[in-house]
Amino acid sequence: MLIINHPSQIKNPVTLPNYFLADLPSTATLSPALLEEACLTLKRNRAQYLVTRSTEQLVRVLVGVAEGWRQADNPFRKLALAEGPGQMGFPRATLEKGLDQLFQQFTPENFDALLRQELGDARALDQFCPSPPSGGVPRHARAVGPEFLVQFTAGNIPNPAVMSVTLGLLTRSAQFVKCASGAAFLPRLFAHSIYEADRKLGACLEVAEWPGGSTELERVLFAHADCVTATGNDETLAAIRTRVPLKTRFVGYGHRVSFSFLAGEALAGFGANEVAGRVADDVIAWNQLGCLSPHVIYVQTGAARSAEWLAERLADELARRETAAPRGELPATLAATIASRRAIYEVRAAHSPETRMWHSRDSTAWTVVYEADPRFQTSCLHRFVYLKPVKDLGEALRSADAVQGQVSTVGLAAPDHQVKELAGQLARWGVTRVCPVGRMQHPPLAWRHDGRPALGDLITWTDLEMR
Amino acid sequence: MTSELSNIAARVREFISSCIPEAANNFSLPAADGSIIKAGHAEKAHAGEEASFQSLALELFALQFTHNAAYRRICEARSIAPAAVMHWSQIPAVPTAAFKELELSCLPATERTAVFHSSGTTAQRPSRHFHSAESLAVYEASLWPWFVRHAMADFKSQNVDFNLAILTPPPRQAPHSSLAYMFAVVRRRLNTPATVFLGATANDGTWSVDGESVARTLRRASEAARPLVLLGTAFAFVHLLDYLAQSEMRFRLPVCSRVLETGGYKGRSRALPKRELHALMTQRLGVPASHIVCEYGMSELSSQAYDGSCGDDSRIAHPASRVFHFPPWVRIQIISPETGREVGEGETGLLRVFDLANVFSVMAIQTEDLGVRHGDGFELIGRAELAEPRGCSLLTA
Repeated sequence: MLIINHPSQIKNPVTLPNYFLADLPSTATLSPALLEEACLTLKRNRAQYLVTRSTEQLVRVLVGVAEGWRQADNPFRKLALAEGPGQMGFPRATLEKGLDQLFQQFTPENFDALLRQELGDARALDQFCPSPPSGGVPRHARAVGPEFLVQFTAGNIPNPAVMSVTLGLLTRSAQFVKCASGAAFLPRLFAHSIYEADRKLGACLEVAEWPGGSTELERVLFAHADCVTATGNDETLAAIRTRVPLKTRFVGYGHRVSFSFLAGEALAGFGANEVAGRVADDVIAWNQLGCLSPHVIYVQTGAARSAEWLAERLADELARRETAAPRGELPATLAATIASRRAIYEVRAAHSPETRMWHSRDSTAWTVVYEADPRFQTSCLHRFVYLKPVKDLGEALRSADAVQGQVSTVGLAAPDHQVKELAGQLARWGVTRVCPVGRMQHPPLAWRHDGRPALGDLITWTDLEMR
Repeated sequence: MTSELSNIAARVREFISSCIPEAANNFSLPAADGSIIKAGHAEKAHAGEEASFQSLALELFALQFTHNAAYRRICEARSIAPAAVMHWSQIPAVPTAAFKELELSCLPATERTAVFHSSGTTAQRPSRHFHSAESLAVYEASLWPWFVRHAMADFKSQNVDFNLAILTPPPRQAPHSSLAYMFAVVRRRLNTPATVFLGATANDGTWSVDGESVARTLRRASEAARPLVLLGTAFAFVHLLDYLAQSEMRFRLPVCSRVLETGGYKGRSRALPKRELHALMTQRLGVPASHIVCEYGMSELSSQAYDGSCGDDSRIAHPASRVFHFPPWVRIQIISPETGREVGEGETGLLRVFDLANVFSVMAIQTEDLGVRHGDGFELIGRAELAEPRGCSLLTA
């Protein structure tokens, strides 16, 4: 926030007003002095406007903002859909669907579930709430958020950044959101929508963008921060972690991959076509760019439908989706990556029936590769997916040992009576989220990000032991 | 080896020498007025050259289809047989990655006397391009005249005295490097007495240069009157330049000294943009941009492209526009990764190379390198980000 009480120009914005650092023209240079000033202002504003807010009030604002985002005539939504394709590389339809699925999660009930799940009591950020007695001592506890929260968000898809800001607001923290280069567009719009809904909350939030590793700037943030969160690849996290002071809490979300497992019984009868459709949903959501998108679909063999049958059905589905919700254009380097990888599989397919490939004609829009070799294979994404046959889930997990510990979500298609058993196997192996196929990229608000309490990791408890 | 392939190998060599007859036996180019022959253009005037290329290409494709079983399968999977191919551009191209998984060779195993591997990280399986004495002879016939034309073109007389220094290991330390082999050919044919291979191969297979000994060579060279011809990989130059910077050394190599650098970095040194690398060469070695030439080659090919001729001053004014040209016995296409069709002038795509000198393997090669189409040349802009997929048991199949 550059200027407090900036007059709103947002009613029908062509461009956004200069309110956040990320609004500055790209020619503007950020200096440590400017950031120092911003940090002090954020803290001051927080003390004045934010600490006194109740959770209920904050949830009301967030729910209102999210409702706005789902209205067709909402100026932020309109701007996101108009400029998003150019800014973020997603076609309009993908953005529309992604934003709707994100913001429909923002309901009072879902916030209540999140707060109760993470804090035990939805009012724990407002007051001391009863805790279970321990050692015969009656106890109360209260959750306190960081005074100053610094969040490093990554590129790809906007959901994590929006969730980070949301959780930060719930903890009543002054927030500085540092976006990856070229990835500030949607976080910036979201911040503006909060500012529009409630100026004082907007004044406790800053959004900026610079290339990671700008140590001079980041040092200023780390000196002020009580808590630093970061999303990114392992090298990025390691680099940030070493620079965060010991007294400052660091919450890192590293690189994750996901896959699906389709149990044989789920592919019997008419259900098989539906499963193929849901797998296609997972592949096209955010063009497969999130950590929760599947690289590989493991298909249990020995059922009525073979993995190759399913691969063909999936190819049909992806071809159909391409008409309704095209993937959009890619930069030449990414298209070249897909084309080069396809070329390898074409050669393999020519030499062995153990590899087959289906793909869009005259474009790199979608690719399905069937490989008999079950080893986990990292996809080049952008709607490029592997199908691999396995005897059972155990074989899938053994084949994915290279990514054990890095798997976020497993999309599951299985009959009800198998779900808990399969999920138990996945949990023991280290998977942190199991969901039905078709929903991989749409975690609920209360999702435990990478198996951690996303809100709970930000707060600090004060225990009160009674006499 | 079948006589058919030997026969066409001989004819390809004839074709090569018909394209650049002057250079067949020595490196002096009779450019009487001292002007630089513009690569890739003057040759085009050669009457019948396109027709010769076309007929050799179609004939070679038919032979490779017959004698290279792995290649034939790829063609068959695309439903393309020699009878259906009317133009060289229709010849099915094989991705370079296929050389890692298949034995793409017309040579029976017993006739293979050498194999060139692609460079890269040791974790990856390398490409394997098999050679025999006969195929190496074609390789030599192809590499020499085009090297001379670009690296030595401004030496107007055969009698120019110069020193040669090579930053790769010698072939006996790098028996699977097509580049070390090429530089050894260059060294032999230039017939320079005081030539050294200054690189070495470490136990783990990586190449290194001993900064100190190169610095000694550079010092001697700058004190001599003879120009120095310095050949090496881009990453070797980065290591060398880093060493010189650390030791605060700068050299002023004699006038007409030159640098030929080739290849990407593939993680073997920090990656420098070309412009920066060349600026450092000028700064630390005293070699002007006009005397820095880039070569583009790979183990899967038998011909190379250069981005200009040494001594061409126009490159000082336009250091960024370095357009590569292959010799007249090679054709290229820039292929849209989206559509698989040739892109328009000025557009970006993947480089596809049709190299007649690849007689005994596969002539049509689909690279993973991105280029911008400029006439019959290309500007290199990078490589598809390609982590090699796991798996595949074709090697043992």
